[in-house]
Amino acid sequence: MLKIRSGSRWFTGHPLADLILAIGLSLPGWAALAQSPLAKRLHSSPFKIAYETYTNDNWEIFVMNADGSSPVNLTNTPREQEHYPQASPDGTKICFSVDEGQGRDTIRSLYVMDADGTNRKKLVDHAREPFWSPDSKLIGFLPQEYPKFNVIDYYTKGMSFYDLSTGEVKPHPNSANLHHLYNACFAPNGKWVVATVHAGMGVEHGILLIAAHGTNTINLKIPGCRPCLSPDGKQIAWGSGDHEIDVAPIDLDADSPTVGPWRLRIQDKTNETYHVDWSPDSRFLSLSRGPASKGDPTKPGTFQSACEMVGVYAPGWDLCAVSAEREGTLDLNQAAVEDFTMLTTNGLSNKESAWLRTDAKKGSEQ
Amino acid sequence: MVLTACGRSDAPPGPKLEGASAHSGSELDGLVEIVTRSDVAMVSLPGGEFIMGSNKGNADEAPAHKVRISAFLIDKYEVTHEMFRKAQLPNPSRWQDNPNKPVERVRWRDAKQYCNERSLLEGLKPCYDEKTADWDCDYAANGYRLPTEAEWEYACRAGEDGPYDFGQPDKLRQYAWFADNGAEKTHPVGEKKPNRWGIFDLYGNVSEWCEDVYTPTYYKESALMDPHGPPNPGKDVKRVMRGGSWKASADMCRATFRQGQQTGDSDACFFTDYCGFRCVRRASPGELQQLRGNSR
Repeated sequence: MLKIRSGSRWFTGHPLADLILAIGLSLPGWAALAQSPLAKRLHSSPFKIAYETYTNDNWEIFVMNADGSSPVNLTNTPREQEHYPQASPDGTKICFSVDEGQGRDTIRSLYVMDADGTNRKKLVDHAREPFWSPDSKLIGFLPQEYPKFNVIDYYTKGMSFYDLSTGEVKPHPNSANLHHLYNACFAPNGKWVVATVHAGMGVEHGILLIAAHGTNTINLKIPGCRPCLSPDGKQIAWGSGDHEIDVAPIDLDADSPTVGPWRLRIQDKTNETYHVDWSPDSRFLSLSRGPASKGDPTKPGTFQSACEMVGVYAPGWDLCAVSAEREGTLDLNQAAVEDFTMLTTNGLSNKESAWLRTDAKKGSEQ
Repeated sequence: MVLTACGRSDAPPGPKLEGASAHSGSELDGLVEIVTRSDVAMVSLPGGEFIMGSNKGNADEAPAHKVRISAFLIDKYEVTHEMFRKAQLPNPSRWQDNPNKPVERVRWRDAKQYCNERSLLEGLKPCYDEKTADWDCDYAANGYRLPTEAEWEYACRAGEDGPYDFGQPDKLRQYAWFADNGAEKTHPVGEKKPNRWGIFDLYGNVSEWCEDVYTPTYYKESALMDPHGPPNPGKDVKRVMRGGSWKASADMCRATFRQGQQTGDSDACFFTDYCGFRCVRRASPGELQQLRGNSR
C-alpha cells in the first residue's frame, strides 16, 4: 500500500488517504507504537547473525537473533582477539580469525568452533579471511604475505583449503599466482571463488572470479571491494564505494560470468557502509555502517588503518539489515521501516556480520 | 665512497656549511655516500644554513626565509618496491613491473611504518611511536623517519638559489621524470641525473611525503633552526609532499614548490599513484665515521 516516500513521510498518492496518513503520522508516539515490518520478519526467520565486536578492551564474536535481539558472547577470551566470523552454509560451525600477541609480533591464526561456541580448534597460523565451501567441508583461506604481522587487508599471498575431515591443507591449483587478495567467498555452485584484489596479479584494484579448481581468473570489472555471492547463486553484492553497496545479477553457471546492471543500491551519505552479507534465503542483507576513522592505537589488540579493516577499532560502527527484495536506491538515512532496521546500536565496533541457519543439526540455539 | 662531484665534473657547491672552514677538499663538505646495514645507499649531508622558500613562486612558498639544518643522512634514491619487500610490507603500488621502481599509492602512515621497520632491521631506535594517534616523531632517535620539509628542500636545493639546482628549466628532462617525459608512469629510480649533492629523482618520478603538517602560511612563522612544521590542527590535516612526479608539470617540479596532501590513513584504498617517499636519519659523529668506514 505504501509506495512513495517524501522527506520523512510516506504517501499513497490518494489525496484522502494521504490526509489521513499525514494526520496519523503526526500523532505523538506514532513511532513508538509502530513495529518495524523488517524487524518482525527477521525475528520470525530461522536465522541468527554472528559478528565481531570490541567490548571490554577486547575483540569477541557474538551471535544474536536476526532482528538484533539477545546478543550472546560466543568467545569470551580476554587475551585473544577474535574477528571475521564466517558461518558454514549448513549452520553448524563458525570459522574466524584470532590475533595473539602485540603489534608487529601479532600472530593471526584461523580457528573453527561449533555454532554455539564450543569445540574451538585452531586450524593454521599466519592466515586470514577464511571462507566456506558450499558443502561446509572445506575452509578456504588466504595465507599472510610475510610472517611479520600487518593489518592491511590485502596482505596475502596464495590461497589454500583446510579439509575439516582430514585436517589436511591443500593449496589452490593456482596459488602461486594469487597475490594480494582479500575478502574471498565461494560461489554456491562450487565453481568459483570471488575476491577483491589490490595491487596484485597485474590488477590495480578489482573484484575477481577465480576458478575454484583451476587457473582461470576473470576480472568482473566492477568498481569497489568485498563481494558476497547470494546463496541462491544469482546475485552479487559488494561495496561499490565507501558509502554504497550495490546488488546486481550474475550468472555463475556461465563459462565466463559477467555482472549485470545493479538493481539495488544501498546508500549512506553520512556513514561508511561495508561488509555486506546475505541471509541464507537470499532475501536479506546485513552490513556494517559507521563514521570513517583510522583506528585508535591506545586500544589493546587494535591497529591503525582504515577502520573497516579487520582488527581496526571502529567507534560508532553498528550493524543493520535491509530487505534485498526491493529495487532502486535505498538511502539508509531515509529508509522506510519495511526495508531497513538497525541490529546493534551500541557503536562498539560491530562489524563483519555473518548469517547463520538455526535449523542445523547441532546448535546455534542460545 | 666519497662523492667528489656527484658524478659530474663540476665541484659541488654548497650552502654555508658548518665546519667548512676547518677542512678542505670534497670530503670536507660532508657529502659522503654510505651504504646502510640493510644495503641502502644514503648521502650524508652536513649541517648548514640556506634560504628556504621563494618570493617569486606561489603564495605558500613565501616569504623566503633563512633556515639552519643540522647534519643528516638522506636516501640517495626514493624507496623502491624491493626495499618494501625487504621490510615485509605489502606493496600498494600501481606499477609493479620492476622492483627498482619507487613505491607509490603509499599512505603517510605506510611510509612511517616503513621507516620504523627499517630502523628495526638495522638495530636503530625507531623514531615513530606507534601507540600515538599521529605516530609522533622522536627527532632525537637515531632511526629512520620522513624528512622535514626544510630538510627536503635543503637537500634538493643543494646550495643553489634558483628553482632547480642544475640551473635552467630546459634541463629538467635530464634530471626528472615528469609529465612531459614520464609516459604517464613511474620509472626505475636513478635513471636520470642526480642533483649536485648526488641525490636522485628529487625533481620527479614520485612526489615525496614529508613529516610536516601542511599549512600555506607556515613560512611566516617558521623556526630558524630545524623547523618541524606547524602544530597539528587535529582536523582535515594535510601533510607536506615535495618534489615533482611523473604526473607533475615543470612548475610543480621546482625545489620550492609545496603541496599539502591528505594522508589517506582512513582510506582502505589510497589511489594517489604519485605519492612516494624517501627516508632520512640523524647519526652521531661516531656512527657516521663507522658508516663511512664500512662503505669505503
